[in-house]
Parts: sequence; structure tokens; C-alpha cells
Amino acid sequence: MNQQPKNQISKKGLTVWRVYGMIETAIIVLIAGGAAAITYFFDGPWWLYAIYAAIPLGFAYLLIYLFPKIRWKRWRYEVREQEIELQHGLFIVKRTLVPMVRVQHVDTEQGPILRKYDLAEISISTAATTHTIPALVTAEADELRNRISVLARVAEDDV
Amino acid sequence: MSEIRYKLHPISAFLNFIKGLKELIFPFIIIFGVNLFRGGGETVAERGVQDLIPVFIGAAVLVFMLVSGLIKWRRFVYWFEEDELRIEYGLFVKKKRYIPFERIQSLNYTEGIFHRPFGLVKVKVETAGTGKIGQAEVELTAISREDADRIEKKMEHAKHHSREPMLEAEEAIEEEVRGLPSKTVKTVYRMSLKELIILATTSGGIGVVISAVAVFLSQFADLIPYDAIYQEVVLFLRFGYLIVALLIFLILLVAWIISIVLAIFANYQFTITTDEDHIFISRGLLEKKKVSVPFKRIQGIQISQNPLREWFGYATVTVESAGGTFGDKDEKIRLFPLAKKTTILPILKELFPDMEWEPVMRRAPKRSLHFFYRLDFFWMFPVAGLISYFFYPYGLFSLIIFPIVILFAVWQHRTVGYALADRQLTMEFRTVSKHAFFMMKKRIQAIEVTQSYFQRRKDLASIQATIKSGMLGATARIEHMEKEDASKVLAWYEPSDNKTADLQK
Repeated sequence: MNQQPKNQISKKGLTVWRVYGMIETAIIVLIAGGAAAITYFFDGPWWLYAIYAAIPLGFAYLLIYLFPKIRWKRWRYEVREQEIELQHGLFIVKRTLVPMVRVQHVDTEQGPILRKYDLAEISISTAATTHTIPALVTAEADELRNRISVLARVAEDDV
Repeated sequence: MSEIRYKLHPISAFLNFIKGLKELIFPFIIIFGVNLFRGGGETVAERGVQDLIPVFIGAAVLVFMLVSGLIKWRRFVYWFEEDELRIEYGLFVKKKRYIPFERIQSLNYTEGIFHRPFGLVKVKVETAGTGKIGQAEVELTAISREDADRIEKKMEHAKHHSREPMLEAEEAIEEEVRGLPSKTVKTVYRMSLKELIILATTSGGIGVVISAVAVFLSQFADLIPYDAIYQEVVLFLRFGYLIVALLIFLILLVAWIISIVLAIFANYQFTITTDEDHIFISRGLLEKKKVSVPFKRIQGIQISQNPLREWFGYATVTVESAGGTFGDKDEKIRLFPLAKKTTILPILKELFPDMEWEPVMRRAPKRSLHFFYRLDFFWMFPVAGLISYFFYPYGLFSLIIFPIVILFAVWQHRTVGYALADRQLTMEFRTVSKHAFFMMKKRIQAIEVTQSYFQRRKDLASIQATIKSGMLGATARIEHMEKEDASKVLAWYEPSDNKTADLQK
């Protein structure tokens, strides 16, 4: 019981998260740039520029390097015959157990960035909750979706 | 098409009209009220005809509503065909809705003041409902009692009929022997007058009434001549704060009394009855409401006690049931609005004999105590510090929040706990009020265990269970439990783990 779920998500997922991190960082750089322009305009003190440079660097380290790495290492899932087990989280590790009989439907979804890397995310819905596995190779996601829907079909209807 | 088509009672034309009127009342008041007052002292003749335009429009709208109410009634028919309740209605566009009896969750009855003299009821047909919010169910505005009974009978008949082939042979025979109409309806609880009064006086309805008054006043804000009032107020203030305070108190008192009266009206003659597969809750003085909950749909039971009620041993019990009306205030069905815990427990035992109502709880370990308050220091230190600094001598009183928050945390720590039975999970926790969730294992949708960095260091974890309630989920969460306990709950919940355990037996 105490061992972790077996499967990890695709290594390419890490790359995708890094891309997301870059996009977020780019936005922060833009904001910092705007702030620097205003400072220049109003003759602000020199150390403000240092701060404007430091903040994006710090975020770049966290968002592009550290956070994706931890998240990727932490993300695990396992689909067994009778239940689905998930584990994820950055600071707070969350472990979720969903019995197969509770699954109502499964979706796969693919945004433009995920499609470029041939990845898809898969969402598992029960009557009351939704759980997402964020980055799986498309073929694997499709296979998993079909497997879950077959396994879930034995569900009895007590909601 | 040999089936008889039934109509609603003619009064429903009038009810449609009233309902439409209700929706328009605020726009009406604003438009007309403001316009009438704006004219000041002039008479209609002086103002000329164009000022009467709003009045004409208003009259036209009224007539339109009256006619549409009539047509809606004329157009509305329902009948039974092929084990379905079929309805045809619509003002401009004719709509048909077929509901298989199988899919009907429950029929809820309401008797308004206009229904009473004619012996009518309003029937809401509830389905599990995945349709649009508020549109999921069908409403029969006014039908006679006999008609309502007929629907119920047809429904019961259809359900038994279609279920039979699925039953095992023996059970089917048993069913035959017992016969259909043998459903015994039993009264299990009737709220006493004392309980009703306690409920009314301690309920939190005050806030609602106050806000209603505020809203009401704000609607008329434009009409109040502030300048004139201002002069008065200045004069008034010279009388001193006492009168102002007294006035506020009086307003609060009146609001409170109104809320008491409303609560008494809403919960008058609160009665729980059951038959084999439903719980019926009926209540109300002016408007009688009857709600039925099929046992099959009940997902969990919650017992809540705010500190005051806990002190006197009173509790509120709500039923989490799947499906049902959404967007309604009564979404959570209150099984007991308020009763002594000692009266509640035996009744719950009778209603749900499978469940354990006083399990022995496993509490959080001692070392998790400081988890309950240490995050609070993040806001307490700056707040208390600033107040003490800026309002020096008296500001020091703000330091009192430290013991209060810590004592509160101790209390929360004492309350949090869980109990595992063979097929039931019970969780108890406290925000301010104490909540106990009783959940059957087969009703739990998912269990989550979370562990923050600090919890990991101390070997603690939080456990969260979600059940379905209404259209969404209800979640019970207990914080900072022993890691071992979290693992135990997960293992208990894991279907394949149980399989192996069973095999070993």
C-alpha cells in the first residue's frame, strides 16, 4: 500500500512544462520591461533596474527549471483492474484513489502545444469529481482511455 | 392514442399569472415608482398624455401576462403512455417532454395558499437531471390530490412491473405475495413545539432578513429626499448616541422577530414518515411542502452542531442525496432541522439500520496539535503588532487573539477524527461548528490523501473523502492525522486490496 504508483508520465511532459514555464517567464519579462521603461521615464534610482533584472531570473529558475522537475518526478499514476491511483503535487503531495466502478466517463484532450509534442491529457470523471493526468503520449492516452472505459463498464448503478 | 389526456386545474392559469407578476415586480416598482414621484405635485391632466405612456405599457404587459397565463394552462396536457409520463406544453413553441417512470427520482408536493381551498397540490417531478440548471424537472402547477395520487400509483406500478424480470425468482414471488399496495407508511418523527421555537430563535436567518431590508431600502434610495432627512438627522444626533443605538437595536429586534416567524411558518408541523424505500419530509404552515427522498439515492448523512447548540445537545441532520433539484435553496435536504441528539440517534438507527451511528473515533495524534494554529501566526503577528503600535495603550488588547486562536485550534484538534467500519467511513471535524459525516463505502466517489512538506517531516497527512451531493460533490476533510491512519483509510477503500483480503479468508 505504501509504495508509489508505478507509471510515470511521458518524459516529453517535462519539456512541455518547461515550455509553459518559458511562456510565463516571457510575460514576467514583459512586465519587468514595462516597469523599467516607466522607471527610466521618471528617473528612478538605479537599484530598481537590478530588481527588475533579478525577478525574471528568479522566476525563470523556478518556473523553467525547478518546479517542472519536481512536478515531473512526483507525478505517478497507476491504472489497475479495480482502481485508479494518482500521485502528484509540488509542495503538497496528493494521493488519490478512484475505484473503477465509480468512473462515469473518460476524456482525452490535446491543446496546440501538447499536439506538437504528440501528447494528450486524460481526464477521469466520477459523479462528483474529475481527475486529470496531464501529459501522456497520444497513443498511450488513447489506449488508456479505452482500457478505463472497458474496465469501468462493469459499474453497478448506485451512482 | 387511447390514453386519457389530463389537464391542470384552471387555477394554474391564475398561478402562472402571479408567478410572472412576481418576476416583474421589482422592475415595475422602479420604473413606475420613480416616474410617478418625479412629477411632484402635478396632476395627470397637467402632465399630458405622453407621461402616461409607461402606464399604458404597464397595462399592456399585465394583460399580456394574464392571457399568456391562460394560454399556458390551455396548452398544458399530460398523460401516461408506455410507462412514461408525457407532457405537452408551450406558449408559442409546442414542447413535448417524455419522462420514463424509471427515471423519476421523486415527486415533491407543495401546497400554497391558493392551492389549499381547492384541495390542490403543486407537483415537482424530479429526475436525476443532467439537463439545464433549473430546467431539469417538470412542474405541474396545480392538480388535485387524486390526480397526484394517480401519478404516484402509475409510477409505482411501472417501476415494479419493469423490475420484476430482473429479480431472482424467489424474490419475485415474495413481491407478489406482499402485493403492491401494502406499502406501510410510518411516522418516525414529529417536531415538537418546543423544538420548533428553539429552532426559530437560534437560526441564522437574521442576516438574511437584514440584508433583505437593506436591499429593499436601496431600491427606494432614489425616492428618499436626502437633504430634508439630513437636517433631521443632525438634529436627531444631538439627542445623543443612545437613541441611535436604541433604534439600531430595535431594528435588529424586529428583524429577529420576523426571522422567527418565518422559520416557524417554514417548519411548522415538521414530520418525517417512511415507507419501504422512501423518506418523506413534510413541513410548512401557509405553504405545505412535502419532499420525498428515495433511500437508494442517499449518499451520506451529515450531523452538524454549532457551538451553542452543541452545548445544549442539539444538532441538525442533513441528507446528501444524488440528483434532485439544483439551484433550489433546499438543495440539501434537512432531515432534522433541529432536535436533541438523544432523540435523533434512535431514529437514525431505525431509518438506516445498516449504519453505525456512534462509532469509536480515532483522533489526531498529539504532535499534530500545533499544525492547527501555527499558520495563523502569519496574520496574527502583523495585525496585533500594528494595532498595538498605533493605538498604544488600548491596542494591547488585540493580543487577546493569541490565546483565543490557540484555544480554538486545541478544540479543532480534539474534534478531528475518523472511524472505519466494515462498509462505512465516519469523519468528524470542526470549522466553528462541529460536523460529522457518515458515508457508506460504496457511495464514496474518491479518497485523497495529501501531505505537505511539513506534514511529511512529522509523518502526518490529511484525508479527504468526496461523495455525490445534488449535482456536485460534498467533501469531508480531516487534517493532520497520523500517516498510518491515512494509509489505513486508503487500504480500506482500495477495491483490489479487499479482494485479496477476502481471498485469504
